[in-house]
Amino acid sequence: MANKTIDSKKILKLTLIVYAAIFVIGLVMTFVLGPKLDINFSGGTRITYSYSGDVKEADFKDAVKSVIKDDFSVSQNTSFAGDTKTFAINLAGKKSLSTEKQKSITEKLTEKFKDNSFEIYDSTSVSASVAGNFFAKSLVAVLITAALVVIYVGIRFKNIGGVSAALTALCALVLDLLVTFFICVIFRLPIDSNYMAVVLTILGYSLNDTIVVYDRVREIKKYNPQLPINDNMNQSIAGVIKRNIMTSITTIGAVITIVVVSEMFGLTSLRSFAIPMAFGLLSGCFSSLFIAGPLWVKYREFKDAKKTN
Amino acid sequence: MKSKRVAKPWFFVIFVLILALSYCAFFGISDYHGDTKKVYIKGADDIRWGIDIRGGVEAVFSPDKEGVEITNDDMQSAKAMLETRLVNQNITDYEVEVSNANHQVIVRFPWAADESNFDAQGAIEELGATAKLSFYLGSDNSGEAFMDGAVVKKADYTYDTQNNYGYIVTLKLNSEGKEAFAKATSEAAQSGQSISIYMDSTNISTASCSEAITGGEAIIHGNFTEESAKALADKINAGSLPFALTVDNSKLQIVSPSLGSDALDVMLIAGAIAFAFVCILMIVFYRVNGVVAAFALLGQLAGSIACISGFFPGASSFTLTIPGIAGIILSIGVGVDCNVIAAERIKDEFRKGKTIDGAIDSGFKNSLSAIIDGNVTIVIVSIVLMGAFGTPDSFLAKVFSPIMSIFGTSITGSIYSFGYTLLVGVIFNLIMGVLASKYMLKSVSQFKFLRNPAFYGGKKNG
Repeated sequence: MANKTIDSKKILKLTLIVYAAIFVIGLVMTFVLGPKLDINFSGGTRITYSYSGDVKEADFKDAVKSVIKDDFSVSQNTSFAGDTKTFAINLAGKKSLSTEKQKSITEKLTEKFKDNSFEIYDSTSVSASVAGNFFAKSLVAVLITAALVVIYVGIRFKNIGGVSAALTALCALVLDLLVTFFICVIFRLPIDSNYMAVVLTILGYSLNDTIVVYDRVREIKKYNPQLPINDNMNQSIAGVIKRNIMTSITTIGAVITIVVVSEMFGLTSLRSFAIPMAFGLLSGCFSSLFIAGPLWVKYREFKDAKKTN
Repeated sequence: MKSKRVAKPWFFVIFVLILALSYCAFFGISDYHGDTKKVYIKGADDIRWGIDIRGGVEAVFSPDKEGVEITNDDMQSAKAMLETRLVNQNITDYEVEVSNANHQVIVRFPWAADESNFDAQGAIEELGATAKLSFYLGSDNSGEAFMDGAVVKKADYTYDTQNNYGYIVTLKLNSEGKEAFAKATSEAAQSGQSISIYMDSTNISTASCSEAITGGEAIIHGNFTEESAKALADKINAGSLPFALTVDNSKLQIVSPSLGSDALDVMLIAGAIAFAFVCILMIVFYRVNGVVAAFALLGQLAGSIACISGFFPGASSFTLTIPGIAGIILSIGVGVDCNVIAAERIKDEFRKGKTIDGAIDSGFKNSLSAIIDGNVTIVIVSIVLMGAFGTPDSFLAKVFSPIMSIFGTSITGSIYSFGYTLLVGVIFNLIMGVLASKYMLKSVSQFKFLRNPAFYGGKKNG
């Protein structure tokens, strides 16, 4: 087995540089451009136009895009009785639309769709449906999860020092989640309910990945208790790396397949789901091998050195 | 190490079971009596898709403002109440927006026009009801109510065999209610009057009582079905609104899917292709192990679908949204992982020079601890999410309530939906990926024409 020569600590440095680069680019873009928040998260303005006849959503979107520069989303509605058809333009954030802008949108629409009699139906400000309360609650839910995971891993991995192992697993998880966020910022994808789904998925996936690595460390330690922790980790990484690569190729491949097929059929709204998901899965696979593992080794060596002094 | 052999027919038994489960879960079993469709087992068609995927209904609620000052806090509690009611109706995918300026609550929830068994208009009316429970002495509500729903600690429903009432709703009262109810019933017993219970302005129960009821428990009986009894109990538990909400019928709208029209069809095609891709990859890399893995994954997916559609008639279907689908994807990912770990372990064992039976046996044995620990961790994640974001009266929510109650009741159905699909997915992964895979592979390896290590990731014979 040639890959036994993997030196996790050397790779840790390289990995940290890659992550640092993503974070610097992400942070700069966050501060310069800001994340794109969905109207559900930030609240905003909604302007509704009624029309008659048939108008394609994409055509409507193009017409509006030529007038307003800001990001917006469009939803197409029909009244219950079927007599009123409307398009709603959702503008997230505090940006409101001046009356002149609204007027020029109306003009543009009447010009482009002469026979559809576009008219302003309603214009209203909406509060965020997902409020700060929700984020506080999510944070607490994540903290409870983290605490329970630390307890579980602490018990199951007692003979290799489970609590520290769990904590480094959580470090890797935080990095993975940050990667998904920065990918959204870099690719200018909206932070919406799709993104929430991504965060949850990576939460489970990343922990699972890291546990597979520790499981191997635990096993090697059982048969060879005298082996230095660093060598043990290197052997463990060599032992599970094929599994990591295979699982990643399969899952990331599946996610990419979903987005490619959707795009072929003209469904573009899955982008904000699949792109951060693919990067999150990649990062999850990478960070469990080359962040959580080596970081934990460093911690253990530091602890051991302290003990001998 | 001597390994136990598994008889050949096992493969076919499990194989047929998985195919049967898959067929039922995807297509369901139903027949037609004339024009009416009778569903014996629900298929994937019966799944309620989320508003993001299939579109839904938008209703604008505004409070009956007559003489009442409405604060922003009132609007928030109205929002929380509507959310509880939506989740109680198993609508876990909804958007509730509050517009403080013009005192409106906008509710959007999934519904499709071809869904005949779902009464959207009725659901909307139910949502807006004040749900104020009042108790009156006498056979109507002409007098003054002696107590209201605030004294009810918990409402539940059960099947009554003692008095042959059929389904009844039971009310546990707090000490204040216990006292008031005892006083009123003793009065009624003496004067021969009855006790009437009203929900808003509708009489839901009038009963005579022969003696004072001092136990602090009241029952409501009437012509309840299991469903209507549960609905009433849920409504009482959710509490009453500070004011009645009325629906502006002119603003009732059908909303297109937020992911774009045709989202559902496209996603089904994309999902099927992605699943095929995963199976092909597994078979190419792991040969026989891969074939077995593909069946195990199919079984796992079918199990998840069955849990989402409700499977049996009467069981309610779960609303499937993008986060719910993410839960399925993650659990399938975990299922793939489980099979990959086992297959890689079997390869390792061949490298150590083991025979087919020995390699398969210790391969599964060695992979078990990693799979169990990984899966349990994911179960922890899903349970916490379900507890934190589910209905306040579910069991899990009660476990977490000491911590979560500081945030008030905020339910986020889509996260609950993620937790649910993830949990059932992981449970089916443990059944299919750990147990079914093992028995299928062990029995299939007994066939003479398949007794070649090369089929399982080892070196060729001879």
